[in-house]
Amino acid sequence: MIIAAWICLVAPLAAALLITLLGTGISRRAAAYVATTSVLGAFAAALVVFAKLWGESPSTRSHPSTAWEWLTAGSFHVGLRILVDPLSVFMMLVVSGVGFLIVAYSIGYMDGDDEERRYFAYMALFVFSMLLLVQAGNLVILLAGWGLVGLSSYLLIGFWHDRPSAIAAAKKAFVMNAIGDATMALAFFLLIQHRQTLNFPDAFAVGPGHGWLVNLVALGLLGGAVAKSAQLPLQTWLPDAMEGPTPVSALIHAATMVTAGVYLLVRTHAVFEQAPRVQELAAGLGAGTLLMAGLIALVQTDIKRVIAYSTMSQIGYMFLGAGMGAYANAEFHLMTHAFFKALLFMAAGLVIHALAGEQDIRKMGGVGRLMPVTRLAFLIGSLALVGVPPFSGFFSKDSIIAAAMSRGWYGYILFAAALVGTFLTGLYAFRLFLIVFPGEPSPFVREHLMRGSHAAGMEGAHGADASAPHDHEVHAHAGEGPFSMTAPVLVLAVLAVIGGWIQFAPLWHPVSDWLEPVARPLAEPTSTQEALASLFAFLLSLAGIGVAWLIYGAGRWRVPKYAFAQRVLEHKFYFDEAYDLAFYRPAVALAKAFGRWIEGPIIGGSIKELAAAVREAGLGTGRLQTGLVRTYALAIAASVAVITIVFVAVR
Amino acid sequence: MRGPDVAWYLAVAAFLFATGALGVLLRRSPLIVLLSLEIMLNGANLALIAFSRLHGESSGQIFALAVMAVAASEVVVGLGLIVAIAQKRLDLDVDKLSFLRG
Repeated sequence: MIIAAWICLVAPLAAALLITLLGTGISRRAAAYVATTSVLGAFAAALVVFAKLWGESPSTRSHPSTAWEWLTAGSFHVGLRILVDPLSVFMMLVVSGVGFLIVAYSIGYMDGDDEERRYFAYMALFVFSMLLLVQAGNLVILLAGWGLVGLSSYLLIGFWHDRPSAIAAAKKAFVMNAIGDATMALAFFLLIQHRQTLNFPDAFAVGPGHGWLVNLVALGLLGGAVAKSAQLPLQTWLPDAMEGPTPVSALIHAATMVTAGVYLLVRTHAVFEQAPRVQELAAGLGAGTLLMAGLIALVQTDIKRVIAYSTMSQIGYMFLGAGMGAYANAEFHLMTHAFFKALLFMAAGLVIHALAGEQDIRKMGGVGRLMPVTRLAFLIGSLALVGVPPFSGFFSKDSIIAAAMSRGWYGYILFAAALVGTFLTGLYAFRLFLIVFPGEPSPFVREHLMRGSHAAGMEGAHGADASAPHDHEVHAHAGEGPFSMTAPVLVLAVLAVIGGWIQFAPLWHPVSDWLEPVARPLAEPTSTQEALASLFAFLLSLAGIGVAWLIYGAGRWRVPKYAFAQRVLEHKFYFDEAYDLAFYRPAVALAKAFGRWIEGPIIGGSIKELAAAVREAGLGTGRLQTGLVRTYALAIAASVAVITIVFVAVR
Repeated sequence: MRGPDVAWYLAVAAFLFATGALGVLLRRSPLIVLLSLEIMLNGANLALIAFSRLHGESSGQIFALAVMAVAASEVVVGLGLIVAIAQKRLDLDVDKLSFLRG
C-alpha cells in the first residue's frame, strides 16, 4: 500500500521529467499522452491505496513512510516522509481523479499550440506538487509541495508568455502567495522551536499554557491558507490568474490548488482548536469572502472571471465550514466543488474554444442552440453550484450552512451570511447561464459557429479588450470540440449530478465517518438544523435563480442601476487600488528616494572615487614599463648584483 | 681527482657568464642578444658540472641537462619571434621594438 502511495506521488514527476528531458525527441501528441497516462496511473495507485485503507479498521488507518532522512540539525530531523491516512487518500483521489479528466481535456484544448510539450510537462509537475502537498507527512514536505504548486501555478498562468497581461498576472499570483508562504514558514519556526518536530501529528500538540504561541502559529498557518485559497485579504490574484489556459483555470484555480488552504485548515485543525479565536477568524474570513466574491461576480463580463469569483465564493464556504469545525463537510464540499467547478470551467472552455478565444459574455448569446451538449453540461454545473437538489452542491453546501447554525451566536451570523451567499450564487450563476446559452444566437456567435470555417471573423475576437485572446487559442472547430474534450466534460457532468449522493447528512454520512479518525468535527448539527438550513438555502437559491430569470431570461425586470454600487463592484471593492496605494506606491517612492539620496551621491560617488584612484595608480605604474628589453635586462642584472652583495655581506 | 682545480672551471664559467651578460646588455640585435643568453646559460651549466664533479654527485649534471632543454625551447620561441619580426619588415633592433611601453 505504501508502495502504491509512492507510485502515485512519483508517476507525474517522472512524466514531467521525461517530457522535459526528451525535448523535441517526442511528438507533441506523445507528450500529451505521457502526461495523461501518468496522471491516470497516479489515480489508479490512489484507488489501490484507498481500497487497502478501506479494509483496515478505522483506528489503524495511518501509515507514515520515510524514504530517507532529508536534513538534520541537532535534535531536529526532517525526513522525506509521507503519511497515508483517510484525509490524504481523500485528497489524492480528488486531485488525481479530477486532474486526469482535465489533463485529458487539455489534449484537445491545447492541440496545435506551439508549446504543447512545455504545457504538459508543467501540468504533470503541478499534479506531482499537489500530490506531494497532500501526502506530506511533515510540515516541511508540505511546504515544499505548497511552494511547488505555487511555482507551477506561476508557470501555467504565464504560459502564454508573449502576452504581457499573463506575465503580470503570473507575477501577481506568485507575490501574493509568497506572503502566505512567509507567514507559514514563520509559524513552522515557532513550532520547531517549541516542539522540535514538524511531523504530523506530533507537531500540533503544543499543549496548554502557550496561548500566545499557539495563536501566532495558527495565524501564520491561516495566512498561508488565505493566500493559496484566494480568501480575504489576499484574494486579488485569482481573477487575474484566468489569463492562463482554461484547463489550467479548471485544474489549478478551481478544483485543486486553491482548495489547498482548506486542506491545510483541516490537516492542522489541532492547532486551530487550541486557538479558537483564530479558527473563528478563518470562518469569518470565509463568510466575508463568499459575500464579496458573490457580489463582484454579478457585474463581471468575462465568462472565466465570473466562474473565478464563484470559485472564491465557494472556497469561502469551505473556509466557513473548516473554521466552524465541520471538517468533513468542508472536505466534502471541496470534492463536489472540484467536480462542478471543473465542469463549469471546461464547458466554458468549450464555448471559448468554439468562439475562437472570445471570453466576453456581452458578445455571446444563444450559444446553446448550436452547442446543446455544452449547454446541458453548463446547466448541470450551474445547478450543482447553486445547490439545487439532487445535484451535488446541495448535499455539500447545505451541510456547511447547517454546521454554522450549531455554533452559537457567531455561528448564526455566519449562517445568515452563507444564506445571503446562496441567493447571490443563484443570481450570478444563472445570470451567466441565461446570457450565454438560451435564445437566438447573436451575430457574433452565428459568425463563428454556423459557418464552421474560421479563417475570417478573427478581427472581432482580437483587440477587443485587455484580455484579448491569444493566437494559440484561436482555432475554432465546427461543433462542440473533439471527443477528448467532450468526454471529460460529460464524465464530470455525471459526477456533478451524483457526486453528492455519497453523503446526505444526517441519513448517511460515509465521508464524515471516513475522515473522523483524522479530524473529529466540532460542529454536530441536529436533524432539525440540517432540515432548516436546507430549506432556507434551497428557497433562497431558487429566489436567486428566479430573479436572474426575470432579469436576463424573461426580460421582465431591468437591471437595477445604482451607479455607486456598480462602480464599487466593477472595481472589485477597490482592493487592487488600495494595495497599490498602501504597498506599491510607498515602496516605489522609497526606492526612488534611496536612488536619489543614497545610491547616487554616496554609493555611486564613492565607487567613482575609488575607480579614479585605481586608474591613477595604474597609469603611474605603467610608466615603469619602458618597452626597452635592455632596460629590463639591466634591472634584472642590477637586482641580482644587489642581492648577491647583500647575501655576501650578511654572511 | 685529475685535471685542473675546480677554481679554474669556475673562473671560465664566470668569464662566460660575464661575456653573455655584457652581450645582453650592450648589443642591440635580437639575434645577438639571444646568442649571449645562450652563453650565459652555458656558463651556468659549466659551474653546475664543475660542482657536480667536485662533490661526486650526479644532480648537478641533471640540472645542466634540464637547463639545456629549457635553453633549446627558449631558442625555438626566440628565433620564431625574430623570424616573425623580420617577415613584418620591422627593424631588428631591440631598442626600437618598444611597443609594450606603458
